[in-house]
Amino acid sequence: MEAWLDDLFWTYQNLVVSLGINGLLALSMYVVLAAGQLSLGQAAFMGLGAYSSVLMTLAWGWPFWLVLPASCVAPVAFALAVGGPTLRLSGVYLAIATIGMGEVLRAIYLNVDALGGALGLSGIPEQASPLLIYAVLAAALAVLWLVGRSGLGRAMEAMREDATAAEATGVDVRRMRLGVLVASAVLAGLAGALSAHATDFIGPNDYGFEPAVTILSFALLGGVGSPFGPVLGASVLTLLPEVFRDFANLRLVFNGIVIVLAVLFLPRGLLAWRMPRRAA
Amino acid sequence: MLAQQLANGVLLGATYALFALGFTLMFGVLRVINLVYGFYFTAGAFFSLWLAQAGWPLIAALPAAAVGAGVVAVALDWLLLTRLRRAHADELASLMVTLGAVLALYAAATAWLGPDIRRLPPDLVGGGAVDAIGVRVTFAQLLILAACGALVGLLVLLVRGTTLGLAIRAMAEKPDAAALMGIDTARLAALVSFISGSLAGAGGVLIGLNFNAIHPYMGEQMMLRGFVVVIVGGLGDIFGALLAGLLLGVVEVLTAGYLASGLKEAVGFAILVLVLWTRPAGLFGRADARRA
Amino acid sequence: MRRRAALVAAVLLAVAPAALAAEPVPVGAVEILSGPNAAYGIAIKAGLDLALDAVNAKGVLGGRPIALTVEDSGGTKDGAINAARKLIGRDKVVALIGPTLSNEMFAVGPVTNARGVPTIGTSTTAQGITDIGPFIFRTSLPESDVLPVTLKKAIARGAKTIALLYANDDAFSKSGFDTMQAAARAAGLRIVATESFGSKDTDFSAQLTKIKSLNPDAIGISALVEPISGVMLQARQLGLGKETLFIGGNGANSPKLGQIAGAAADGMLVGSPWFVAKPDRLNQDFVTAFRAKYGKEPDQFAAQAYDAMLILAEAIDRAGVAEPAKIRDALLATDHTGPMGPFHFTDHRDPSSTEGVVVLEMHGGAFRIAD
Repeated sequence: MEAWLDDLFWTYQNLVVSLGINGLLALSMYVVLAAGQLSLGQAAFMGLGAYSSVLMTLAWGWPFWLVLPASCVAPVAFALAVGGPTLRLSGVYLAIATIGMGEVLRAIYLNVDALGGALGLSGIPEQASPLLIYAVLAAALAVLWLVGRSGLGRAMEAMREDATAAEATGVDVRRMRLGVLVASAVLAGLAGALSAHATDFIGPNDYGFEPAVTILSFALLGGVGSPFGPVLGASVLTLLPEVFRDFANLRLVFNGIVIVLAVLFLPRGLLAWRMPRRAA
Repeated sequence: MLAQQLANGVLLGATYALFALGFTLMFGVLRVINLVYGFYFTAGAFFSLWLAQAGWPLIAALPAAAVGAGVVAVALDWLLLTRLRRAHADELASLMVTLGAVLALYAAATAWLGPDIRRLPPDLVGGGAVDAIGVRVTFAQLLILAACGALVGLLVLLVRGTTLGLAIRAMAEKPDAAALMGIDTARLAALVSFISGSLAGAGGVLIGLNFNAIHPYMGEQMMLRGFVVVIVGGLGDIFGALLAGLLLGVVEVLTAGYLASGLKEAVGFAILVLVLWTRPAGLFGRADARRA
Repeated sequence: MRRRAALVAAVLLAVAPAALAAEPVPVGAVEILSGPNAAYGIAIKAGLDLALDAVNAKGVLGGRPIALTVEDSGGTKDGAINAARKLIGRDKVVALIGPTLSNEMFAVGPVTNARGVPTIGTSTTAQGITDIGPFIFRTSLPESDVLPVTLKKAIARGAKTIALLYANDDAFSKSGFDTMQAAARAAGLRIVATESFGSKDTDFSAQLTKIKSLNPDAIGISALVEPISGVMLQARQLGLGKETLFIGGNGANSPKLGQIAGAAADGMLVGSPWFVAKPDRLNQDFVTAFRAKYGKEPDQFAAQAYDAMLILAEAIDRAGVAEPAKIRDALLATDHTGPMGPFHFTDHRDPSSTEGVVVLEMHGGAFRIAD
């Protein structure tokens, strides 16, 4: 490769990685939003995936091909454990309950010495290549696309429009809700494991309240008509701070204004297009 | 030590309740998670700081700062939320818009004012303290306690005892029906924003005074606790917010004092999650159909 | 490839020094300039800029100016990595100063180290920073060098028991606490209580009431300056008086302690590698210049950054060429004297001397040397 091209890639490698990871996180948000649920547990799931995968790598010495799928176990177990009582809630109550759970997990990371406390865990081998990250992202997109076009996708949309009506037409709303929560946990868990193995270091503050709302903003900015919207939203919000780099301390101001304008004037998100579906 | 710890808990709880009063009103009536709320808190604290530096006594600076924060709240509410309210957009949209706005507002405030912590002039409240039965309480803390009680009283009077309060309650229950009955919901929303913003502003002044630290992000740091208090107390429930605030304060202090201080923050969220699981209407609330 | 290019440049430089003399040497810094922790980055940037004025008055490598680009990390891990990669990959900086927080260094250090760009932390005091790799330096004294000196002073004043209090959610404070605990044990102090809080907390009454009931001779606090100030204010509110000795970690070493806590912080002991009123001429010149340029007092972060910039400029000069690996080797041979005092690196790239450590005591809202 040309040296300048090499340099260019090196410069933006972390950004390229972040784009892929944030795309996955946006999809993890998308699956719950697509079923009409405002669950903000994605950052918590991501943290569980990240911490559990790092323990598998550092403490148990597992190979990465085993670590990656195994990184879904903890988030999924957590989703199943808290899912029952939590999913009876809806709207903002669900949102706040899931944020509360994220904060409880953060307290655990901080207080358990084996998890490094505030110092986090470092010295994680960089085993998640950009190629792998994008392969996982592409696979997730493909699966969600296929599911979205199937009867399952129709049921999800029916739930989003009106859960009671969907129930009346024979959709098992409870199982669907738990199902999308588990799917969300899988995607976020993978994202956590991949990001941990792409940056060498994880800390307890990477998975708190702020990341939770950031992930939500990915999906909402992009729009939840199709799985591509959230990925686009994630890309835009990941790139914005870099684009605004020269504005120094005003860049968060611009970042915020872009979100406000997008919601006010593009209520369906940047990508308003909804995926076509075979007739019922 | 227990007596002092209980006093610590009540005083801490009073600051939580003070912060949450306007939040629960805004949340309960306007049905928005307004993430900008914390910024009104910051704004009130800064207004009082400037007024105090200009030589105003606290008795004048406190209401003026509250009114200032109220005006900021009305302006931001109009700018951000009227459009969404008119379009009957879902709560996600308002959550997002206030998220973007609060990001921009804190960053702009930091860029403009600098990130440094400022303190109010030390002679604003006497630095004295009361010492009785082994419990020490400072004047600033007593002021918070008194202000908290007075504001709760005034709010309850307003909401329960006036026609305006009736309109507010009607809007909280069924905004569409309220509009049909001839209530100007847009104006009422502005009024509720003003009251909430003023409460936040007053809270910012008093809490800034108590902890002696005023900086742009001070409101953000209260938000998570605010959520806990509002949910545990029951949405829009003013007494509930007071009780939940006090409860949270006492539980946090007892956890830190007798269990493990590292769990102080987590215990509040654990309570939040448990309350949502078992009593989604809030610990003291009536059933609320919107929750389930 | 890069090396060959640098070699060509070096040859050209030798052949035609006049032509290339003015070409700036690119140096980068990653600091927190936005968000809640911006105060630290802004102080550091002020120190760097002031030093740059001095350096560029005569230039390095025979008259070339240093072109310093300071990028914002926003205090986040990703922000810090992106900034460092941008500086190295696009601006081709030959050395990096920062990042501000130890947490950020744990994320950035492995990247810059693998790339072979010398990276100098000026404010990263946690354990294990320089273990990241051979290109990671720091000019900030680790807490493990400062705290024993402070504790010795406390023991000289009669302290036998100590309670420890720390912020458990940021790396700097946690690491400082670990060090404080070890140092207290080593010094023979009996630890009667260990309490923690969140670095964004404003209420510490529960922890302080508990500590007060145990009546320790001293209370050691490891946190950033904002929560420490809050702790001091509340300790006085709760009636902890002069009979208790307060000991601050590195975070307490800031004029902000006096600004926020005022007289409530009086009596607190803080060990510092630097002190604003240190009478030597180099330091007084620095303080005067800083006041003239910014209209305020420098703090420890500004002083450390000032020296780090000078140390780096001298190393570039000694390296003879603006090339990262050479600069790294030259840094190891640092023999610098600045506002912080005489400075050398150990073989492990930490500051070698603790001679400069002074124990300060808050008095009337300002620091003075403790007697």
